[in-house]
Amino acid sequence: METIQLKKAPEQELTFGQWFRNVYDAVKSTAVGMGITFKYVWGVKPVTIEYPEVREELPSNSRSRLFNDAENCISCLQCSVACPVDCIYITAVKRPADAEKIKTKDGTPIKLDLKQYTIDTALCCYCGLCTTVCPTECLTHTTDYEFSTYTLAQMKYDYLAPDIRAWRKRLIKD
Amino acid sequence: MGSTHSMENDKIILGDTEVLKTDLLTLNMGPQHPATHGVLRVEIKTDSEVVVEATPHLGYLHRCMEKHCEHLDYRGVIPFVDRLDYLAAMNMEMGYVLAVEKMLGTEVPKRAWYVRTIVLELQRIASHLMYFGTYAIDLGAFSPFLYAFQDRENILRLFEEISGARLLYNYIWIGGVWNDLNDEQLARIKKFLGEWEENFKKYNALVGENKIFIGRTANVGVYTKEHVEDYGLTGPVLRGSGIKWDLRKDRTYGIYDQLEFNVPVGEGLKGQLGDCWDRYFVRMQEMNESIKIIRQCLDGIEEGPVMAKVSKIIKLPEGEIYTRTECPRGELGIHIISDGGKTPYRLKVKSPCFTHVSSLPAIAPGMMIADLVASIGSIDIVLGEVDR
Repeated sequence: METIQLKKAPEQELTFGQWFRNVYDAVKSTAVGMGITFKYVWGVKPVTIEYPEVREELPSNSRSRLFNDAENCISCLQCSVACPVDCIYITAVKRPADAEKIKTKDGTPIKLDLKQYTIDTALCCYCGLCTTVCPTECLTHTTDYEFSTYTLAQMKYDYLAPDIRAWRKRLIKD
Repeated sequence: MGSTHSMENDKIILGDTEVLKTDLLTLNMGPQHPATHGVLRVEIKTDSEVVVEATPHLGYLHRCMEKHCEHLDYRGVIPFVDRLDYLAAMNMEMGYVLAVEKMLGTEVPKRAWYVRTIVLELQRIASHLMYFGTYAIDLGAFSPFLYAFQDRENILRLFEEISGARLLYNYIWIGGVWNDLNDEQLARIKKFLGEWEENFKKYNALVGENKIFIGRTANVGVYTKEHVEDYGLTGPVLRGSGIKWDLRKDRTYGIYDQLEFNVPVGEGLKGQLGDCWDRYFVRMQEMNESIKIIRQCLDGIEEGPVMAKVSKIIKLPEGEIYTRTECPRGELGIHIISDGGKTPYRLKVKSPCFTHVSSLPAIAPGMMIADLVASIGSIDIVLGEVDR
């Protein structure tokens, strides 16, 4: 026969003195707690911000929305290899030999023509591994954090499209 | 699992009197229950208000992390171990990185170890502050949560500056850390440490010494030494039951052997040894010890590089390794099997919270439902780590 014993603390006998001591303890500890709370009623500045009106500026190396400056990209595919969730899609073709020689900003010759550079931001886990391997530092995390959209398809950023390239003026400070 | 229960013979004894036997009522606590800290479902069978049997059901947050890691290179795994225990991501990274470094035989620069120790202990404080806040919410007090978050915010802001993210850092890398701490940040950590004494007093007065809090936690959810040994519980739960065991001290790693700190253990000050209040006590004292460790690191930190030279493509030698580190919630074990390739052949995570959840059926029978909430809160589980 099994008995479920209600777990109960071994209680001391409640004497008259103990009863008053309990009441005293309860009143005192509650009063101390309330004292701390009341200190915050006046004279303490609020620590929260009113979000849409006041916007917080993130630290400069904060990892938020990715931006690829496609003119400086040499299509080396290192970012898409490093990406743990495989959300970077790149297509590039060999640049014809008779085409004009072009270079990135830091002087690396561009030997491949970038045809597609798309990042599925909905898949991105913002780990920062792609930006650390980028040799020309064209792929960067920006501090832009307001990019909610209505559909998932809108989260696919094609960095060769003119409307997305227009972000550059706002996002990249150089 | 739990106690077997047959309808005819069982009795409920309340104090000295036998109460009327009623039909058992099956209740689902969770998966969307605020007190289960994530998506844990506990199926409880109750007789009036007394829990007769409690069975945790896991798997609601299973993300296939271990299998997925088999397709990732060793650097790519780090963002995934972050997502195990998202409240203490630095400690998770440390456990994994330590395993890889040991297998590679990398010499990590001295400064990197100091920076690592500072961020690890700050993370431990942030994690325990989270426990403090949410545990108070579990027991019906809301304002301690806000105070705790105010302090936690200082730490998260610092982490955001050095690593770029607030929760999932990818900061501790194989061979060192990503970014160095500059003087201004070190000064800010010092300022945080200076304010700690006052904050700690505030927390303790607000919650720990409160009569209602003691009433809710003392003698509740008692883990005896037998429980702890049977289930292999670790971390604050183990120390709350009065066993002095801390991997940072007993199986030391990094520079913890050069640092002086105590291992706080539960003493049964307000009730039986190993109750919820003891675990609260241990966690609060651990924050003090972390402060002590960070102070010593700030004094001892030396100039130098924070990254060792590691080859661009990491290939571990063939073999396997098991490392364990002390995380805020207990002992994290990482088992890596390598076949000499670019990706791990198998990566197994031994999570502390999983063992803690498994011990619930042992302590639940005979508890009031409200006490079960207090017990689940006090073992401080994170479901991301339980299910992986």
